[in-house]
Order: sequence, then structure tokens, then C-alpha cells
Amino acid sequence: MKCRAAVLRGVDQQWQIEELTVDPPKVGEVLVKWSVAGLCHSDEHFVTGDMVPDAALLEAMGQPPFFPVIAGHEGAGVVVEVGPGVTSVAVGDHVSASFVPSCGRCRYCSTGRQNLCDAGAGAMQHGMITDGTNRHWLNGEPVRLMAKLGTFAEYTCVAEASVIKVDADLPLSAVALVSCGVATGWGSATKRADVRPGDTVVVVGIGGIGMNAVQGAVAAGAKRVIAVDPVEFKREKAMEFGATHTFASMDEAFPAVTEMTYGQMADKVIMTPGVMYGDMMRLGTGLAGKGGTIVVTAVAPITQTESSVNLFELAMWNKEIKGTIFGSLNPRSDIPALLGLYREGQLKLDELITRTYTLDQINEGYEDMRQGKNIRGVIVYD
Amino acid sequence: MKTKAAILWGRNTPWSVEEIELDPPKAGEVLVKMVASGMCHSDEHLVTGDLAGATPEPPLIGGHEGAGIVLEVGPGVFSVEPGDHVVFGFIPACGRCPSCADGHSNLCDMGSLTATGMQISDGTARHHAQGKDIALGIGSLGTFAHHTVVHEASCIKIDKELPLDKACLLGCGVVTGWGSSVYAAQVQPGDTVAVVGVGGIGANAVQGAKLAGARVVAAIDPIEFKREKAMEFGATHTHASIDEALGALAETTWNRGFDKVIMTCGVGNGDVLGQAFWLGGKRSKIVVTNIHPTLEATISVPAVFLTVFEKQLIGSLFGSANPRKDIPKLLELYTQGQLDLDGLVTKTYPLEGINEGYADMNSGKNIRGVLVYEH
Repeated sequence: MKCRAAVLRGVDQQWQIEELTVDPPKVGEVLVKWSVAGLCHSDEHFVTGDMVPDAALLEAMGQPPFFPVIAGHEGAGVVVEVGPGVTSVAVGDHVSASFVPSCGRCRYCSTGRQNLCDAGAGAMQHGMITDGTNRHWLNGEPVRLMAKLGTFAEYTCVAEASVIKVDADLPLSAVALVSCGVATGWGSATKRADVRPGDTVVVVGIGGIGMNAVQGAVAAGAKRVIAVDPVEFKREKAMEFGATHTFASMDEAFPAVTEMTYGQMADKVIMTPGVMYGDMMRLGTGLAGKGGTIVVTAVAPITQTESSVNLFELAMWNKEIKGTIFGSLNPRSDIPALLGLYREGQLKLDELITRTYTLDQINEGYEDMRQGKNIRGVIVYD
Repeated sequence: MKTKAAILWGRNTPWSVEEIELDPPKAGEVLVKMVASGMCHSDEHLVTGDLAGATPEPPLIGGHEGAGIVLEVGPGVFSVEPGDHVVFGFIPACGRCPSCADGHSNLCDMGSLTATGMQISDGTARHHAQGKDIALGIGSLGTFAHHTVVHEASCIKIDKELPLDKACLLGCGVVTGWGSSVYAAQVQPGDTVAVVGVGGIGANAVQGAKLAGARVVAAIDPIEFKREKAMEFGATHTHASIDEALGALAETTWNRGFDKVIMTCGVGNGDVLGQAFWLGGKRSKIVVTNIHPTLEATISVPAVFLTVFEKQLIGSLFGSANPRKDIPKLLELYTQGQLDLDGLVTKTYPLEGINEGYADMNSGKNIRGVLVYEH
């Protein structure tokens, strides 16, 4: 079948709307008509090149060039066709995308760590999770899909492992947000940082991830939730989501956190800036007190290898730095559970959406994100 | 010195408020002018004999949920000085034994020294009346008195601006209930929690579960007033009985059974625990906080579900908390409006009103009654 898709053909270029040809699903695959796609910062990392592997490296690995790519990994839609052997969803089911697949069979899926599913290994490579061949073509040439999802297209063919059935009465915009940003932020606080009642928590960077780290920290009973962001609009929104204090920078937050905690500093620091740079870790780790935990959620440039961490303090003060993908949650249990919280009014999702766009407005949407106008922008398909 | 105290002279008799002779503090001990004391159900267990064997025989001075002001310290006391405001941890925290060292000071080895009701330091009495040594009921504290002498290990210093008539509740009930949810049950965001029995412990289990982000907090109590109060403390559902709660599992737990069940009845009962066991879902934690009679030896738990559903039966003392950290921490949550203490106190009484207070508790009128002393 043929449909429309937003295609990126190189670093620093605009998204272009092109015609995409999608093959029917084979064994273990599902054709999804996407209804909503979130404009996540991770897709922007392709535009800036932060997440684009070196061309020479790709060639050495026998991989085709990185571009063209269809991005989009935060989405919700409706199953329109299933291949043989698909049992967890049927035609007409509403589904959430899951940018980390969950095969349910590998070592990590088998030990309650679906966010580390082995099937996620080739997320940025060509071809299907199932058999490695392509289903998606631009003028006869195969195209790469972000996380093997490509929700910036009207239809894509994805592995059953990448979709999770959700209740049909839920708004698909809510489902789309939960599929990546909400779960990632929420889990960064509740699961990876393990915020406990009475904790002091600092969240650095208040976008589609950080805002949900704020929500998670509040829900987990944090005594103080301190949101740090240079954009005033985001600081104001953070207070609406339950933050108790806001600061424009870590430099500004540092003396204030020192004072309000009598020098004990934060129990948990969660790093959710748009792009994670190594020098942010100087204050990122400094804001955490003795025995404190620093969770690094944000995506850093792929080639960056240096980070400013005072290793003396790390050891002497028993601090720990933890990375997380997908907030260390399990998509198959936590996406439905978070939507359950939303249904009962205990999780704000509608309030996260600053503006909706059509597929044709995708460049405008990303420009708004760069300018700090959006907590989350979403594409709503006709 | 002479002071006034409520003495229990025999089982199932009223408390007798009378003058006692109080010796000065010896080494490691502290003389405290009491300001307030909660009336906890555990002291009622002294009257009924439910705690026989684990607590001293009458005559004894009751009360273990107290706060006051330090008047005098014995030799070798370093952590408090005259003028300091203190809350008593009903279990001492010596800070030196293996339990304290491992972060479980609710199980401090010194706690075993309180079973005789004599002083922790040397096993003798500082309290005397009618020519007899008088034991201290629970925790070697004796807070049903205008003054008492206790061990330094029982004294937790708090900020002076905090109201002592509320802070006293941190000595037992609040930490026990809150910690049952937060520490023993490890309530996580999105959990479903059932609290069975909404008194001075259960109301705080409700508060703890709510603050920890529970999606559902179902409070179970036969008394309508307590169910109403539970909603004020953050419960999302209330039921008059366990049976009624079992009938609502589809709504409250999406038919999965509760993630956490917390037993906070006035008196524990093996049959009730067995009934409540059905409330828990797969991998649920069922926390036994309420005190079962010391002579009860049987519980009616369908044990097969310990295995096939991996249900976990967990005992919890003092909310599995560490009093030296958690009493100041919970008071901070109180000052920030994240913990309701004011709403816990249904009525206050002078020391002379103690029998009236316990009558009110037994008829279900109080979440917590508090004795507030006028000196």
C-alpha cells in the first residue's frame, strides 16, 4: 500500500513529506494505521546528528547509509492487518507503540527488564525485527525506520513485539504520550531513582520527559520536587504538575538546595535535559547528597565520551549514577498501568500536550520545540 | 520528687491517678516533664492481659506515646540536655547493637530490656507508689504521668517550635502506621492497598499509602465515623467489612487482588487474618502490624497461596522504621502539610480523664485520644 510519511534525508535538513510504499505484514508482523505521533526530542537527535552513527563506521559494519530515515517512535494507532502467528493483537485493536520491543523470551524480558529486550539491539538498523528484510520503500529504495516503528508515517509494518494492546475507549493522544515520554520520565523517578516518601528530588530539564519525572516524584511522595529549566513557561508548567520549587539553572539551584536541605542536598537527581552534555554532570552529581542517586535519562551525543564527575565525592559520599532507558519500566505491564492511572485522574496526560500539528506541519512543530514553546507537541493524523 | 501518674493496680481495673515518688535520673537516664501522651490501644492490652508475658505485671504506670521537655540528665547523657524537647520512641534505639547497625533500630536489642518495666540502664525502678516499686508498662517509659525518668536511648530530640501535643503521636502510632505502608509494605506508585482497621495506626497506614502514590487505598472498618475519617486521610474507598471489600475487588483492583494488605485492627485475630489474606493478589504483601494476643498460636491462613500466588506474610514492628531518622522526618512532613497529625486527635483529656478516654476509644469514638498535661 501507499501512504504519506515525513522523511529526513540528512543532518540539518528539513523533514520532507514523501510517498511511502508499505508491504503487507509477514509472520509475526502487524500493519498499523497511526493516529497520533509524539514529537519527541529523540527524533530531533537525527536532525542535529547527535544520534547519527559515523558514515565510515556504518560502511565498515556493512550497513547502508543512515539516511533516508522515517522517524517517530512515540505513537498510538489501530491495527489494520496482522500476519500469520500474531496472537496478542487483532485487526481493529488499539495499540501503543513501544520503542523498546518486548519479545518476552530473552534473558532481560524473562527477568522483569523488558526495557532491555535483546530485540531492541538493532533499533536503528534497516529491516524488520522478525527477519531483517525491508517492508518500507521510497521510490523503490529501502528506508530506515526510527526504532523500527516510524510513527511519522501514516502506516507502517511493525513487529508484534513493538505494539501493546490498549483499551479502545482511551484517547489515542494519551496512549501516544505514554508510549515513550511519560513512561520514561515517570519510571526515571519512580523506578530507577526509586523516589520514596519524604525524599528531596531535583529534575533537570522540564520537557516531555522531565515533566513526567516531576509527576512521578510527586506521586511517590517526595517532600520537595525541584524543577530546573531555563524556560520560564516550563518552570510555570512544572509547578502545575506538582513541583515545589523551580530554578532557571543548576547554578541557581545549587545554593538554594543547599540551604533548604541544611546542606544535605537531594536524595535523587534526575537528568532530563534535551541533550545530555558531560559537563552537566559536575552540578548534576553535586546536587545529590551523601548516598544520593543521579539518574541519567537524557540522550547524549553518541560520540561523547567525557563527563565531569568528581570521582572523589562519588566514592567518599557513596553516590550512585544510574542510566535508564524507558524509565526502566516494562512496557507490557507499565503502559496499561499508566493509562489506568490516567483514567482515574491520577496522571496528567492531556495537560502535557501544548499543541497539535498535522503531518505537513512537522517542521513547525520541531521549531516550536527548539524554541521551548512546547512541553509536548503531537502530530494528529486525519 | 513527687508527681502524678496513672497506675494500673490489677488487670481489668480502672487506671488510678495518684501521687508517686520519682527518683532522679541515674547514669544514661533523663528526667522529662511530660507535656502530652497518646492513648494507644497497646496500653489497653495491658489492662486486658493480651500482652501477658511480654510486658510487666501490674502494678504499672501505662503510656508509651509521649513527648515532653528534658529537665535533668544523668551522667553520660550526651544527645539531649535540659530544655530540649523530646519525643519518646516506644522502642529504644541504642545505635550500637546489630539491628541498629543494620538500619533496623525498630528491633534494637535494648528493646528486650523493657519487658520487665524496670529501667533499661540497670533493671531497677525509679517510680514508687504506696511503698512499692512501680513498673512502666510498655517501653520502660510511663508517659501517663506528669514526669518520668527514661533511658537516653528512648529520647529523640525535636525542634522546639513543634507542638508537643501532636508530636507525641510520632512516638508510636503515626510511625507504626505510616511505616507499615511505606517501609514494611513498600507501597509503590500505582499500587492498590487495603488497610484493615482504621484507628490510630490504620489512619496513618492510609496516609503513608496515599503519600507513596497508591492508586487505590481501601480502608476497612465497621464504624462509619472511622470510614469517614479515612476518606479525609486519603482513602479512595471504604468498606464496612472484609467481606464487603472482597465483593468490590473488581472495582478496586481490576480483579487482581490488592498489592498490599495492612492489618491494623485493635486486636489481631487469626481468623480475621485468614479472611484478609483473600484480599491480596499475586505477589501481594500482607503486613501484620496489629498485635495478636501473646497466647494465640494459630492463624487461619490458606497457606497454599503463599506458594502458588507467592503471597507474602510480613510482620512489622514500629512501622519497620528507624525512630531517630523517621520521627524528625515525619514531623517535617507535618510542617509541610504532607502528613495530617491534627486530624488524628479526636479529643484531648487531662491525666484525670484517662478512664473516660479509654472508654471513648473502646466505643469507637476516637481515632486518637491524647492526654495533655497541665502542670
